[in-house]
Amino acid sequence: MKKETKIITQNWGEINPKKIGDYLKVGGYETLKNFVKNPDGKKAVAEIKLSGLQGRGGAGFSMGKKMECVFNNKVKEKYFVCNFDESEPGTFKDRLIVENNPHLVLEGIILASLIVGAQKAIIYINGHYEKAKEILEMALEQAQEKNFWGEHILKTKLNLEIEIFVGAGAYICGEETALLNSLEGLRGEPKARPPYPVENGYLGKPTLINNVETVANVPWIIKNGEKKYAAVGSEKSPGTKLFTISGAVKNPGYFELPLGITLRELIFDKAGGMKKGKDFWFAQLGGASGRLLMEEDLDTKLEYSREGKFPLGSGAILVVDKSVPIWELLFSWSDFFARESCGKCIPCREGTFRMREIIGRFEDGEISERDKQALQDILWTLEKTCFCPFGSFAAVAIKDAIQKLKIF
Amino acid sequence: MFVAQKTIEKILLDFEPEEKNLLPALKEVASVFGFIDENQADKIAAYFSLPLTQVFETGSFYSEIRFEKKPMVLIEICSSPNCAVNDSWQIIQEIQNHLGIKLDDTSNDKIQLRTMSCLGRCAEGPIVRVNGEIFVQVDKGKIYDILKKYI
Repeated sequence: MKKETKIITQNWGEINPKKIGDYLKVGGYETLKNFVKNPDGKKAVAEIKLSGLQGRGGAGFSMGKKMECVFNNKVKEKYFVCNFDESEPGTFKDRLIVENNPHLVLEGIILASLIVGAQKAIIYINGHYEKAKEILEMALEQAQEKNFWGEHILKTKLNLEIEIFVGAGAYICGEETALLNSLEGLRGEPKARPPYPVENGYLGKPTLINNVETVANVPWIIKNGEKKYAAVGSEKSPGTKLFTISGAVKNPGYFELPLGITLRELIFDKAGGMKKGKDFWFAQLGGASGRLLMEEDLDTKLEYSREGKFPLGSGAILVVDKSVPIWELLFSWSDFFARESCGKCIPCREGTFRMREIIGRFEDGEISERDKQALQDILWTLEKTCFCPFGSFAAVAIKDAIQKLKIF
Repeated sequence: MFVAQKTIEKILLDFEPEEKNLLPALKEVASVFGFIDENQADKIAAYFSLPLTQVFETGSFYSEIRFEKKPMVLIEICSSPNCAVNDSWQIIQEIQNHLGIKLDDTSNDKIQLRTMSCLGRCAEGPIVRVNGEIFVQVDKGKIYDILKKYI
């Protein structure tokens, strides 16, 4: 059997995340050392673009295209922001990456910043991730001692400042424009796009924003070349992905697998199938804002593609068995979105609030005709009229539950 | 956990008076004092040379920054789907019945029960947080032991 390529998790467990020496021993920071000798940003951008690396935060936008925009911008002052505000329910891949191998992420951040010509990198970390923050701070200090970042990196003319910014508990701050607002000391409300952050980002300057998992792929691509990377995974979306699976499966946890694997393989091969005595009912793909996949959808390929019916999102999978009371899940979804709605636009603020209210009344399993109709109206409004994608996210799971699970 | 020597002035001096430091400063003040009162909000606004409204505007957005006094015991339960499939709702029912309190009732200044969003520990759910301390894999039996520590 061919050994599966591991990019993110290859040295997990062997290296101590608190010791930079362990990472250096497995060839860590070699890519950076080679890059600074002959810093050719243009070539590196082209490599990332050709590799087909897509944003792993959920949207799946080409990282190379973003990089190109920032790279080609003639403005001197540029920023790089690493989005570590992971707060999608069921998702903890970024936390695992940082807690197991923080230097891989740092190397990726330093490389990405130097490639696009950013002078400052900011890591926006979820306020709840205290252990990850501690490890990251330690890693930053060690990397600075070795002169991997700071002034005159490895005795070259390159400079880069890195800073950690801790969030304060808001789901929407994972959205890039909201994250920028939060960094600037404002409410973490999303802004209208365009202008995109690549033109007008942090403090109005061109900013490249990438998820932790995305940047963790960068050192590997620069080291091994874009062709090798493109050979892993599926045609539409190359590379591997860290999936986190929870719920009624035998072996819940994380799996790094090539993109394009089917949901059936993931659940029944990798995660060991269903727990004893549990029957598969449906799976939710991509956290609380994800769609529901029934038995007949199990052969869906897990990949980032425009045409795909089921967006992969953050790669979190929740497997639900037939013994779960559906009301608890319905209320859980609507409660989450009502609490996390930022309040900027009325359809979302009022819609999520009323949706929770109606579903609260459904607790005893009965629903009036009036509530049913109102729920349909709310779902339509959330989907069509909200300012940012949060509104339509809030409608996804409930809508699927009504249509596919036939709860009423 | 209240640190008597730390005054608001001292905390603020750790931050450059730039707008982008407003959120970290608010977070620090809230974590030291538990909440931010009006007097402190005034001082923060003056220190950063920002209108008082912006201090409230920014602060009120984030769930970790409070402007009202904390209850003596604050119980938070993750209500995200991953914890919900592990019976987090039944734990909420259990607490409501046991303590005679209601979810989201903010009028009680002794004990309050709330739902919270995902802390990224879904593999260890359900997650309960009491006064900032996190408990994992809580079930209907374990919750009584946890509550005993606080009440």
